[in-house]
Amino acid sequence: MNALLSNIRFRDAGTLLGLILISVVFAFQSDTFLTTPNLMNILQQSAINACIALGMTLVIISGGIDLSVGPVAALSAVLGAAMLVAGVPVPLAIAGALAVGVACGFVNGALITWGGLQPFIVTLGGLSLYRALALIYTGGTPIFGLPDGFRALTNGTVMGVPNPVIVVGVLAIVAWVILNKTPLGEYFMAVGGNPEAARIAGVPVTLTKLSAYMISGLMAAVAAMILIGRLGAAEPTLGTLWELDAIAAAAIGGASLMGGRGSIPGTLIGCIILGTLRNGLTLMNVQAFYQLLATGIIIIVAMLIDKVTSGKEG
Amino acid sequence: MQPRLSVSGVSKSFGANTVLHSVSLTVMPGQVHGLLGENGAGKSTLLNILCGVLSRNSGEVLIDGVAVSIASPRDATAAGIAMIHQELQQVPELSVAQNIYLGAALRRVGGLLVDRAAQEAEARRILAPLDASIDVTAPVRTLRVAQRQIVEIAKALRANARIIAMDEPTSSLTPAEFERLVVVIEKLTAQGVSVIYVSHKMDEVFRLCSAATILRDGRLVGQVPLPQTPVRQVIELMVGRELVHVAHNSFATDRVVVQVKGLTRGRAVQDASFTLHAGEVLGIAGLVGSGRTELLRLIAGVDRADSGIVTVNGVDVPGTSPRARIKAGFGLVPEERKRDGIVRHRPITSNVGLPAMASFSRGGLIRKAHLKARSEDLMRQVNLRPLDVTRAIGSFSGGNQQKAIIGRWLAAGTQIFLFDEPTRGIDVGAKAEIYDLIERLAAEGRAVIVVSSELPEVIRVSDRVLVMQEGRISATLNAGDISEANIARAAIPNRQSGQPT
Repeated sequence: MNALLSNIRFRDAGTLLGLILISVVFAFQSDTFLTTPNLMNILQQSAINACIALGMTLVIISGGIDLSVGPVAALSAVLGAAMLVAGVPVPLAIAGALAVGVACGFVNGALITWGGLQPFIVTLGGLSLYRALALIYTGGTPIFGLPDGFRALTNGTVMGVPNPVIVVGVLAIVAWVILNKTPLGEYFMAVGGNPEAARIAGVPVTLTKLSAYMISGLMAAVAAMILIGRLGAAEPTLGTLWELDAIAAAAIGGASLMGGRGSIPGTLIGCIILGTLRNGLTLMNVQAFYQLLATGIIIIVAMLIDKVTSGKEG
Repeated sequence: MQPRLSVSGVSKSFGANTVLHSVSLTVMPGQVHGLLGENGAGKSTLLNILCGVLSRNSGEVLIDGVAVSIASPRDATAAGIAMIHQELQQVPELSVAQNIYLGAALRRVGGLLVDRAAQEAEARRILAPLDASIDVTAPVRTLRVAQRQIVEIAKALRANARIIAMDEPTSSLTPAEFERLVVVIEKLTAQGVSVIYVSHKMDEVFRLCSAATILRDGRLVGQVPLPQTPVRQVIELMVGRELVHVAHNSFATDRVVVQVKGLTRGRAVQDASFTLHAGEVLGIAGLVGSGRTELLRLIAGVDRADSGIVTVNGVDVPGTSPRARIKAGFGLVPEERKRDGIVRHRPITSNVGLPAMASFSRGGLIRKAHLKARSEDLMRQVNLRPLDVTRAIGSFSGGNQQKAIIGRWLAAGTQIFLFDEPTRGIDVGAKAEIYDLIERLAAEGRAVIVVSSELPEVIRVSDRVLVMQEGRISATLNAGDISEANIARAAIPNRQSGQPT
């Protein structure tokens, strides 16, 4: 049937196969790997990266990149935490923190579209800028004393599944629907695939790009809420190197950094692959240095496989 | 005498599609040899094989009697073959001398440093007989197209080319510049360099070439001596049939749909005003750089005008974005399909639905089944082959991509079609289909503008022709006055043009 759809499915199946292979290896190496608590643990540990990576995937598909996600998360975290500590009602404080993320995304998007600057440079600037704002606001010290009512949101479970995993699962479904079922999703693919052709075909290119960066900012803020809920504190230095994990997950999942291509299920599996790798190697008592090595190898191998198999496409 | 270049039995196919069937070509030393054929006849493929851009499936290439293997552009250069592309391949910011020595820089201090002085001296020496007025230290971007072409020829001579292929070298030249090129080519041939000359312009071919090889649909259909072969015979070999006048049906009405008043953008388009009627096909002709494409892009909202207005059905069109113009009923079918038309990896459905996604959606979600059914219906109307709307558009041939773009605007309910070089890079069969589609659009009461550099095309499709010259509309030709001679008279500067409008 749908040649392109089956193509994407083919790619997702490949990512899934990679995950299964890695899991089989770990299952033989460690008795605890395949237990339910450990698998939940992997999902929980992957949730934050997955949250960031969902936004990153949309940005990458639309032909951009967002290097500022970590600091955006940090800024949302400290401002959200400050509101919570000051006694602002929890829903309002969360909404405020998410608004901070969206605003940061808007600034990135505005500089890229109306300012005509390159996404890499704008968000590289944002990487320093938002981090600096978080540090200046807090004076470099963490904000402690988050209310229990807020912490319960992220530490609770539903039928044994941690709340953050559920939240990210729902967000993934929303992202999938946006990408595959709405005009905005078509616009992301068109703008990333060929911006000039999209413009001539009447696609609102500026709004499309703005949306991608605002969604990415929003997702960074959601990830920040999950993290500070779990830690009970908001550090201005949180989220360091998150952007690289998110880009890695999207790339493993089949997103093309040239834009125009990517997959939400692929990105999710990519996140789980990275999470599984860390979990499994830790269970095997492998030094952290080697975990880093393994991560690097996985990314490059995934790209090489992509390169070899993509010759079949039209 | 031994031929300089002898190509025999060269075939090339892409997948199941054979584009060259055992083609041969023989060029003597110092000869200017025409390579003729319609678009899609296989000229570019053959040239690309000679330049190492494409590999051949079979056949043999001999240079001065020695078999050569050309697997890469580097091999071609080593074998003494150089090509002057229609789109000059230069680095605009680098100097003339640097461009001439691109990839082969002269070095000093044991190869560590580029020897600029030597490069400039050598470049000056090579250029002196060609065009001494070119400053070898000037960035190439400051040169006129004709001069850049000379630089490209100098680069070929620097690489000791024995065969120089020129692809439509005069498409951007004024008649005076063409005369200078003729002198340069005569100097080249006097040195024993052979020239393969690709052009659609019969007068140039007959003036310069002493023989021509004619291709049609990827096959060799004749090698003729020039200028003794009649023009008519050459053209009939190219098109494969006797020349018959194709009847042109007019569906033009009196109802004015579009009015363009005083449209201006810099020097590219100056004070363009005209009207377009329902059911009318308006051709826009002119030399490259005359402002044809630029005018069309202003109307489509792709570029912003400095001044001037566009009205549709008597109402000013607000905004100048493509989106605003699409809303007003315009749709642009661009010349550069790959760059401006298609989103390569996406299926036909996505490419067709792009301007009208909202109309294919309900409650914010795209009705995929509806989009697919509508796309299939439209693609059947435009005769897309193969009729598979889920395939990525990039996997279709140029002609079929063009049909899909036409279908895109049908889906969007476009009333005013703007075609820029509608058959550029499209094979002969699909070309006729595109002409039929244009005629059908007009028959259905839509207004159509066709910009084209091919005069036979303009003459075939148009009810009325605007001729542009240096950014201005220099003449309007009505049905009875449309002819190659009249268009050429109004298009070429430095002569008395037709009556201004």
